[in-house]
Amino acid sequence: MLKIENKADIFHYRTLLFILCFALFSLLSRYFYLQVIDYDRHFSKSKVNSVKALTTYAPRGLILDRYGEILVDNYPTYILTVKPYELRDKEQEFVKLSSIIGIDTEELNRRYKKYHRGPFLPTTIAKNLTFEQISQIEEMRLDFPGVQYDRSDERIYSPILNDAHFLGYLREVDRDTIPKLDKNLLYRAGELIGWQGIEKQYEKELRFSKGVDYVEVDTHGREIFRLNNNNIPAFPGKDLSLTIDANLQRYCRNILEGKKGSVLVSNVNTGEILSMVSSPSYDLSIYRGTTSEVEWNDLLKNKDKPLLNRSIAGLYPSGSTLKLITVINLIENSLVDPSDSLLCTGIYVPPGSTSEFRCWNENGHGLVDLNKAIAQSCNIYFYETVQLISLKDWTDTAKQFGFNTSTEIDLPNEKSGLIPDQDFYIKNYGRWGWSERGALLNLTLGQGDILITPVQALKFTNHIASRGETAQLRLNLSEEISYYDKIVYPEKIWNHIWDGMFDTVNADQGSGWRARLNGSDVKLFGKTSTAENPHGEPHAWFIGFFDVEDTTYSIVVMIENGGGGGAIASPIAGDIVSYYINSSKSLAEN
Amino acid sequence: MLLDQFISSTTKDSVSRLFFIIIGLIAFSLMTLYSISDNPLSSNSSFYRQCVFLIFSFIVFIFVKNISMKTIHDNSTIIFIATFIFCIIPFFLPSVEYTYRWIDLGFFYIQPSEYLKCATVIVIAKYLSNHQLEVKDNSIIVVPSILTLLSALIVLNQPDLGTAVIMCAPLLPMLLWAGVSNFTIFLMIAPIITILAASNIIYFTVWAFIMFICFLSFQANIITKSILYFANIFTGLLTPFLWNNLAAYQKQRILTFLNPDLDPMGSAYHIIQSITAIGSGGLFGKGWGAGSQTQLKFLPVQESDFILSVIAEELGFLGILCVMIFCFLLIKTLLDIAFRSSDYFASLVIVGLGSILLSHIFINSAMTIGLMPVKGLPMPFISAGGSFLLSCFIMIGLVVSFSKN
Repeated sequence: MLKIENKADIFHYRTLLFILCFALFSLLSRYFYLQVIDYDRHFSKSKVNSVKALTTYAPRGLILDRYGEILVDNYPTYILTVKPYELRDKEQEFVKLSSIIGIDTEELNRRYKKYHRGPFLPTTIAKNLTFEQISQIEEMRLDFPGVQYDRSDERIYSPILNDAHFLGYLREVDRDTIPKLDKNLLYRAGELIGWQGIEKQYEKELRFSKGVDYVEVDTHGREIFRLNNNNIPAFPGKDLSLTIDANLQRYCRNILEGKKGSVLVSNVNTGEILSMVSSPSYDLSIYRGTTSEVEWNDLLKNKDKPLLNRSIAGLYPSGSTLKLITVINLIENSLVDPSDSLLCTGIYVPPGSTSEFRCWNENGHGLVDLNKAIAQSCNIYFYETVQLISLKDWTDTAKQFGFNTSTEIDLPNEKSGLIPDQDFYIKNYGRWGWSERGALLNLTLGQGDILITPVQALKFTNHIASRGETAQLRLNLSEEISYYDKIVYPEKIWNHIWDGMFDTVNADQGSGWRARLNGSDVKLFGKTSTAENPHGEPHAWFIGFFDVEDTTYSIVVMIENGGGGGAIASPIAGDIVSYYINSSKSLAEN
Repeated sequence: MLLDQFISSTTKDSVSRLFFIIIGLIAFSLMTLYSISDNPLSSNSSFYRQCVFLIFSFIVFIFVKNISMKTIHDNSTIIFIATFIFCIIPFFLPSVEYTYRWIDLGFFYIQPSEYLKCATVIVIAKYLSNHQLEVKDNSIIVVPSILTLLSALIVLNQPDLGTAVIMCAPLLPMLLWAGVSNFTIFLMIAPIITILAASNIIYFTVWAFIMFICFLSFQANIITKSILYFANIFTGLLTPFLWNNLAAYQKQRILTFLNPDLDPMGSAYHIIQSITAIGSGGLFGKGWGAGSQTQLKFLPVQESDFILSVIAEELGFLGILCVMIFCFLLIKTLLDIAFRSSDYFASLVIVGLGSILLSHIFINSAMTIGLMPVKGLPMPFISAGGSFLLSCFIMIGLVVSFSKN
């Protein structure tokens, strides 16, 4: 029944025709109004000028140290941009440009593709142009339709602190990353964004807010007048004061020159980091865009890993530092009497085993009590006593002090290390592939599968120095003090640890005697450790704390593959502490 | 009526007139694209691409025009379902510029929703022609409304508000043409006007009065009428209350949805540029290829969305008048063919297709002169763009095929 008579009504025909006429007539009358009645206004506007909206920028916030010294500043550079739709002959223009600015056309094309964000928006293709290059381009202006140069701010680093990992760096946003970023900050391809370190962590505070300027331009696109109404001003980013003490940072960096490792100094009462050094380092200004591929690859492939911030992301066995965990477990559960002595002959053979475990002192320490065991870092004492502790108690205590979790310091990419517990052993060695006693022998010396970062060691030190109640570590000076979960132990435990750590530095045969502060009344507490590892020489550690004028400070020194903690790390720590005491004394005098 | 005398010509005349009109519009299109292309003969200029699309579309047109109406009528449900599924495919593909409108064919992006418009018109026409005897029943509107909403919703999700609006455009003209009672049509329009008028107390009072008169004049049960009337008034009174009850971010979300470019650098800027271009054209225009706004690229997307602004600037009001006359004749001719068609189904389809074309023309022009927010809908036969040109030619192919009866 395909055929159905069409019975369209003339009334309906007229209705639709009326709608058609009405729609088109109303459009035409609006066109008539714009083009004939209001013609003069629009014509003169188009003849003389036209409004263009320009995005305006403001400087990024500066980064300062705790006393206001500028660590990261801005300096103006010229950047070269092209507007894709205005380019007449891209290849030819790029060849000419390349001869002026000395970047080959392949690289120009690569950047053009990478930062392209639409035919009407400028794409950045070169940076750090010199004034000569700009004037050359200006002279040949007619050969370069669509090419523009703009002023733009680059980061410049204080010359002595240009290699501090924690500062981080900026990177250009490219098309692939934009969808992943915070939409409210209005990133456009080619703009800079904090990509590492403080620059990344405090991106929101440091970044400026963009503005819009409406300008009138003539028919050749030249700006002739700035309209002041409706403009949205751009605001600079906020300056950021860090807890870092630039002088101390400089001193620590110099002392690590030529070594691999990390130094951390902090204020225990407030959690402020005064110095954070990771060595070897590299010049942060390589991120400004003129670095060649070869230099990059050298940095990336360098076996000393200069790009790694060892302080927060370097993982190392802790060595004897963690003997203090054993100490806590022993006293808390009253498993030994601290004044009882054990005989160290230099060799320990676990009951029911034939394998021998040696003390670092091959001749043995003789009779050793708890205090001497800490101060001289006697292995045998801890081999014997750790047998009284259960694995779970030991790992729980270690985790309580923040090992195996990040310290939540305000820096990105922190590593959380590893304290191997029962689950870990079962997972990695099988149900029967390990024994609790054997594991403890390793753990008590901070060896085996244990991995910690220097900043975790710092948090541990601060917990001891503050007797369990220490402030959250941070680099932002204006942040309020907050505290880590309180660790509660009887006073006598802290006293024993403090005594042991005091003797480590100050007693005759203390393993850290090289850190001793000669001619100063400041009491330095410390613990050395020598962490054996499969990659060569052991890592040398020293952790310690001291009081200056009612404020407690802590220090962690870690020299990667440096050798013995007593021989290598202690003197470095001693030098740093003396330097700090002297400088704070002179600061107080001034 | 004066305009009725055009009807006297035969259908055959109408079809040949249709050809002349389309050739006229295409001439405008190519002329404008040639003017705005920097290098019109290079293979990536919009002019060159449009020529290629035209040839391809014409081949498809020849093919569609030779399909018999019976084939289309009998298979309309299948066509609709197939096109509908075609529209769902982009959701499973990687998004193109954060939307799911296009399928990337390598050499060109195809937009399935363009073809869903035609398919929806065909399936509604078939339903109405099969139920011609019940056309005075109010329930006749249910199935066509559901089909329209279904198509509109899938497009809305892509998200593409412009095309979703176009999807709804043919419904009322087709129902009207089918002979649905005026009362029913009024009932469909009234709530929309009520909600729009609810924002302003004066508009709302005037509208309530008009509505009262209308309800009085309709032949229906007095109780039904009063219930419907007060339901409308109640909806209107409730609207501002509901709107104010929304949280600020919800309001913002709705406003942004209706007008995605609230950004000051975005559409407001485009419309200012477009109006300056149009206004400065004057009565006679600045001459072909001499529009300063156009040639200096102040005008955005000038080869598709804002192509009328180019014509207005370079050829002036007279140019626009010509384009509008062509548009008028195009729709008028379609109406004539529909009116004279001896077949109910064919006539309904042609009215539906005509409404789609008219709403494109209206929304696109209204956008260039700032009467509507920027919606990115192209102008039939004039704007550059493959998918839409092809769908226009398919529509005309259907009209020519159906007019043979």
